[in-house]
Amino acid sequence: MNNNSINNSMTKTLTFAFMDPPFEHERTITFFRLLDSALEKNANVRVFAYEGAVALAFARQQPHGNAVHSRDTEAEKHPLTKDWIAALQSKAKDKGLAFEWINCGLCVDERGVNEAIDGCARGGPADFWRYASTAHNTLTIGTR
Amino acid sequence: MKVLQVIDQAFRTTGEEQDDTILWLTQCMRSAGANLEVLLTGHGVFYSVQSRPQPPLKFGNWQQTEPADITQDIGRLREKGVPVYAVREELIERGLFGLPVQLGVEVISRDAVTQLYENADQIWHW
Amino acid sequence: MSDYLFVQSQDPFTDARASHQYDLAARLADSGNQVRVLLVQNGVAPARKGAACPAFDALLGSTVKVLADDVALRQREFAPEHLRDGVQAAELGVVVDAMLAGHKVIWN
Repeated sequence: MNNNSINNSMTKTLTFAFMDPPFEHERTITFFRLLDSALEKNANVRVFAYEGAVALAFARQQPHGNAVHSRDTEAEKHPLTKDWIAALQSKAKDKGLAFEWINCGLCVDERGVNEAIDGCARGGPADFWRYASTAHNTLTIGTR
Repeated sequence: MKVLQVIDQAFRTTGEEQDDTILWLTQCMRSAGANLEVLLTGHGVFYSVQSRPQPPLKFGNWQQTEPADITQDIGRLREKGVPVYAVREELIERGLFGLPVQLGVEVISRDAVTQLYENADQIWHW
Repeated sequence: MSDYLFVQSQDPFTDARASHQYDLAARLADSGNQVRVLLVQNGVAPARKGAACPAFDALLGSTVKVLADDVALRQREFAPEHLRDGVQAAELGVVVDAMLAGHKVIWN
């Protein structure tokens, strides 16, 4: 545990439920900003990814170039949500905080996004209730 | 902890998922012991006056055999003791007021919604 | 009585529900609760001076405190002088603060 660790019995845990897949809506950006802010404010974070959000952690996401931008793959540096999750995992670790992520398993199966990055587990609604009922507070962000 | 599930959309997933995914989530969490109530508002009030399963989809030679049955889903919630409310003014605005409301669904006024919010520990708007 | 924070992503120009959502926030405030609305994403659209939105006018006329995500404002190039009176720019972290304080935090 490093000197910055504050993960003790006083650390609060916040749960977030999210539903949007990557690359489709501004909600995804706001969601990740909230997760980052929660860690910044020294909260443990739990995420239940439901429906399209199970693709956020898909390990096979690939960056690409963009001819319209006149940038190749390396220059474009296209964001990938799996990298954002990894960055938040790293931030949590550095701060001695917990960052847990569960994908709804049935949502994973029907979308075929079974390969998630490390640290993202498979679960279901009972896990979401467990996350929420044992957290300090929960925010659900629906899709439209 | 008591949670109010607010559903203001309808038919978003009933074709592909063969249910409303928030009503489904609610049923699953209830089975896990969650203390939940459901508020149908906006287009969600359509669910309170459904009377039959969804029409099955057909694409080419693919035929759906298990279309969504919202009436059954709400019935299951009621059997599990989950209160389900529908907002009267939303029914009126959509020309649905006067249709038979599913047994066990309580129609409340918009004014009464604030009390539901007050009585819940958390409100999850999907 | 409770503290509420509505994270308002829906806007009345696009989403018919937004006016009802504003109304509910005002009703909860009228009932004696402490209610704030944080406009995010296109939810900040009616907060610009000159935007014509009677439902938002009514929200500003209530006791609800209206905030606007500073990043959403910057993305849309709303300078401070473009904001309607009664709307205060804020950091998104107010949502986390509210959650940590045990407020009822609701995404619209």
